[in-house]
Amino acid sequence: MTTPAVDLAGVEKRFGDLVAVRHLDLEIEPGEFFSIIGPSGCGKTTTLRMVAGFEDPTAGRVSVSGRDMTGVRPYRRPVNTVFQSYALFPHLDVFENVAFGLREARVGKAEVRARVAEAISLVQLEGREQSRPRKLSGGQQQRVALARALINRPDVLLLDEPLGALDLKLRTEMQTQLKDLQRTVGVTFCYVTHDQGEAFSMSDRVAVMNLGLLEQVGTPEDVYHRPASLFVADFVGKANRFQGRIEEGSSGVYTVDIAGIGSRRVSGPGGLPSGTEVVVVVRPENLRAAPTETRNGLTATVVDASFQGAVRTVRLQAAGLGELTAAAGGAGQAPAPGSAVSLTWDDDHAWLISTGDGTP
Amino acid sequence: MPPPGERPRRRLPAFGGLSRLALLLPTLVITAVCFVIPLGLIAVYSFGTVNQVNFDVYFGWTTQNYHDFTSALYLHTLARSVFLSLSTTLSCAVLGFIFAYYISRQPPRAQQLLLVAVIVPFWTSFIVRTYAWVDLLQNLGPLDRFARTLGLHGHIDILYTPYSIAIGILYSYLPLMILPIYVSLERIEPALYDAAADLGATPFRQFRRVVLPHAVPGLIAGIIIVGVPALGEYVIPEILGGGKTLMAGNLLADQFLETGNYPFGSALAVSVMVVLMLLLFLLRRAQPAAEVQ
Amino acid sequence: MNIRRHPVAAPLSFLILLFMWVPLIVVGVNSFNTQTIMAGWGGFTTHWYSLAWHNQDVRTGLKTTLIIAVASSVLSLFVAVTGALWWRRASPKARAVYDGLIFARIILPEVVFATALFFLFLKIHFSLGLTAIVIGHTVWNSAYAAIIVQARMASLDPALEEAAADLGATPWRAFRRVTLSALMPAIIAAGLLAFTFSFDDVVTSVFLQGASNSPLPVVILGMIRFRITPEINAIGLLVMLFTVTIMSMAVIFYATAGSLGRAGRRGSMLDMYR
Repeated sequence: MTTPAVDLAGVEKRFGDLVAVRHLDLEIEPGEFFSIIGPSGCGKTTTLRMVAGFEDPTAGRVSVSGRDMTGVRPYRRPVNTVFQSYALFPHLDVFENVAFGLREARVGKAEVRARVAEAISLVQLEGREQSRPRKLSGGQQQRVALARALINRPDVLLLDEPLGALDLKLRTEMQTQLKDLQRTVGVTFCYVTHDQGEAFSMSDRVAVMNLGLLEQVGTPEDVYHRPASLFVADFVGKANRFQGRIEEGSSGVYTVDIAGIGSRRVSGPGGLPSGTEVVVVVRPENLRAAPTETRNGLTATVVDASFQGAVRTVRLQAAGLGELTAAAGGAGQAPAPGSAVSLTWDDDHAWLISTGDGTP
Repeated sequence: MPPPGERPRRRLPAFGGLSRLALLLPTLVITAVCFVIPLGLIAVYSFGTVNQVNFDVYFGWTTQNYHDFTSALYLHTLARSVFLSLSTTLSCAVLGFIFAYYISRQPPRAQQLLLVAVIVPFWTSFIVRTYAWVDLLQNLGPLDRFARTLGLHGHIDILYTPYSIAIGILYSYLPLMILPIYVSLERIEPALYDAAADLGATPFRQFRRVVLPHAVPGLIAGIIIVGVPALGEYVIPEILGGGKTLMAGNLLADQFLETGNYPFGSALAVSVMVVLMLLLFLLRRAQPAAEVQ
Repeated sequence: MNIRRHPVAAPLSFLILLFMWVPLIVVGVNSFNTQTIMAGWGGFTTHWYSLAWHNQDVRTGLKTTLIIAVASSVLSLFVAVTGALWWRRASPKARAVYDGLIFARIILPEVVFATALFFLFLKIHFSLGLTAIVIGHTVWNSAYAAIIVQARMASLDPALEEAAADLGATPWRAFRRVTLSALMPAIIAAGLLAFTFSFDDVVTSVFLQGASNSPLPVVILGMIRFRITPEINAIGLLVMLFTVTIMSMAVIFYATAGSLGRAGRRGSMLDMYR
C-alpha cells in the first residue's frame, strides 16, 4: 500500500460558528489527477487551503507524503498552489515570477536559468520571459502560474479553480493541456472546481463535497453512473428520479417496486434490506422515448424539445411522476409538443439510491 | 474572484499578535501623543488662568476665558472668520462646480489637460501664490490700472481688506473644490444624458435630474475640504490682510506667540473646533441623503 | 472651446483658468523686471536672482527647509507604511478610529493644531526648533502619506503574499519581495508629496521654530511683511518651479504604480543576493 500523497484524517474546519468542513477523511494517491467538486460554499477551497497550509484544521490531521503537516507553515510544505487569480507578481517579469521559489531556496544562478527554461518550455511560453504579467493574456498568465508552481517539484500541486476566468474555448483547450501536463510530469494534482464537466474530463478520481461533507469519492464513471446520494446524482448531471421500494434482492441487484411503473430490476449499493425506500435514477441519455406503446413503457407527454446540435433534449410530463428529461442524438425528427410517447430504459442503466426514511 | 460564500475569512500569513502592535506604535505615537493629547490639553487649559507676570499657566476651572471671548471684539473676529469662510466656500462651490462640469463634458484627453492646467498652480508654493496677489491688488497695481482702463474712477483699494482675503482664499482653495466635484461628475456615463433625453428631458431637466444628483456628494466633500480649513486660515489674512488680526487664525496665533495669554487662546481654539465640528456634523447629515449610488 | 454647447460654462471656465495662472505669470515675469513698483515692464534683469542668491537668510532658510522636508517625509512614510500594514488585519472598529484620525489631521485647521502642539511642548519643556518642527510636520504629513499608501495597498491582491509563502518565502521575505516592491511607487509618490507639503509649510513652522533658523517659507513671510519685495519674485519663481517638478515626479510615480518600469526588474535581480 503506497503512502498517499495527501491524507486528510478526521479534518474539520470552523470559522467561529460557521462549519466549513466537517469530519473529512480523504486520501489522494501519488501521481493521480484528483479533483474536488461541489457547489459554492461546500468547503472544497477551504480543504485545499488546509493542504496548502493557509488554514489550520480545527480538528484532525493533514499529512503530505506521509509527513504530518500540523503546525507546518506554507513556506515549508512540499506543496505548491496555482491560485484562482493566478497571483502573479506584477513587479516581476515572467522569468522572475517562475524563478521565485528557486530564489527562496537559494538555488544557484546557472541552475535557476536551466530550470526556468525547462519550466517555460513545458508550458509553451518560450520568448515571453521578459514580459510583465499584465502584458499577457489570461491563458498565458495561467501558464506562468503553472510553471511557477511546478518548477519547485512539489509532492502535490494544488489548483484552485484556475480556469474560471477563461472563455469556454480556451478553457477546453487548457483542460487538455493540463491533463497532458500532469501525465508528462507525473506530479499529483489536486484540482478544485465547481464545474463537474471540467473535473470529469481531466481526473482519475473525483470527490464530491456538499456543505462541508464528503458525499462520494470515485472515478468519474463511478460518480456519474453510481452516485452515492441524490445530491451527487443531481450535481454531476441531469437525473430522472423515480420513487420506489426494494422488494427483494442482495449484493447490488434488486427488484424495486417503482411507483407508477411497477417492478423493475435495478442495480445499487450492496446490503440494502427489503422494504428500503429508494430513488431510482435514470440519466436522460438512457431514457428512450418511442412514439408507440412498448412493453414496460411509461406513458408521457412531450412538453418541448430543444435542439443543441449533437444532442436533442426532450422535456416530458408523466402523470404522477412530474417532469422528466430524455436526451438523444440530434439526428431524426423532433417529437411534436403534446404528442404521447412511451419511455423505457435498460435495466443496466438505472441506479438506486437509498433514502432511508423516505425523504428525498 | 472567489465565488461568494466560499471564503468567510481570508487570513494572510505573517505578522502575528505582538508584532502587529509594534506596527501600530509609530502611528500611535504620532496621533495619540502628538495630536490627540495636545488638543485635549488645549481643551483642558481653556478653563485655566494665566499669571500675566511670569506667563505661568495655572489649571483651575474657570469659564472666564470664554467670557472674555464673548466680548464684542473677539466675537466680531470670529463672526468675520465664519462669514469669510462661508462666502468664499460658496463662491468656490459655484465656480468650482461650473469648471468641474465643463471638464466632465470634454473628451478624455481634454479632461486630463484641463485638470492638469488647474492643478499645477496648486502645486506651486502656497505662500508665493498668496504673495502674488499683493502685487496684483495693490494701489497702482495691474488690477487698479485695468479697472482704470475700463473707465472706473478712483482707486481700487481692496488690498488689506476682507475682500482681498476673500480673493486669496478663493484662489488658494478653488482646485480643492474642483477635484471632488469632478470625481463625482466623471462617473456619469455619457449614455445617461441620452437616456434622459430619450425619456423626454430637456437639456435643463437633464442637468437637474442627472447632473445635480451626481454632483451633490462631491459638492459636500468639497465644501468640507474647503470650508473647514478656510475657517482657520492664518497665512492669507496675514499677508493680504495687512497684519491686522482679521480672522480667527491670526487671533489665535497672536494669543500664543505675542500676548502669551494661553488659556484665552485655548478657549479660542476650542471655540473654533466646536464651530468646525458643528459644520462637519451638519454636512455629514446632508451627505447620506445625497448619495445617488 | 465649444461655446455653443456650453454658453455659460465655457467662457467662465476659461476665465477661471486665467484666474489660476495670471498671478503665477505675474510673479514669474516680474522676477526679471527691473521695474519694481508694478508700473509696467522696465527691462530684463537677473539682478533679483543674484540678490536672492546672496541673501544669507534665504540660503540658511533653504538649507533648513530641505533638512526638515527630508526628515519629515522619511518619518511620515515610516508611520504611514507601518500603519497601513497594521490596518490590513485590523478590526472594523479599530480601522474606523484609524481612518477618523487621518481625516481629523487633514481637516483640522493647521493653526489650531500648531498652537496645541506648541502648548504641549511648552508644558513638557520640550525645546522648540528643528526637531519640534519635524515632529509637527510629520503629524499631518503622515496622514496624506497614509492615504496614498493605503489606496495602493487596497488594490493589491491579498493572494500575492500567500503565493509568496506557497513558494517558500518566510513572512518577512514575502513582505520585502512582494508587498514592499509592489508598494514602492506609491511610497515614493507619498514621500515626494510629503516633501512638498513640508517644504511649503508656514504655520506649523512659525509656531514650532522657537529661536532656531527659520525655514524658507517663514523667511519669505518675513520678507513680505517688511516689503523687501523684488527678490521675493525671484525666490518665488524658483520655489514654484522646484515644487512643481517634485509634484510632477510624484504623480508620474503614482501613475506608473500598476506598471513598474525597468527599476522593478533590476530590483528583483538584486533581491536574489539578499
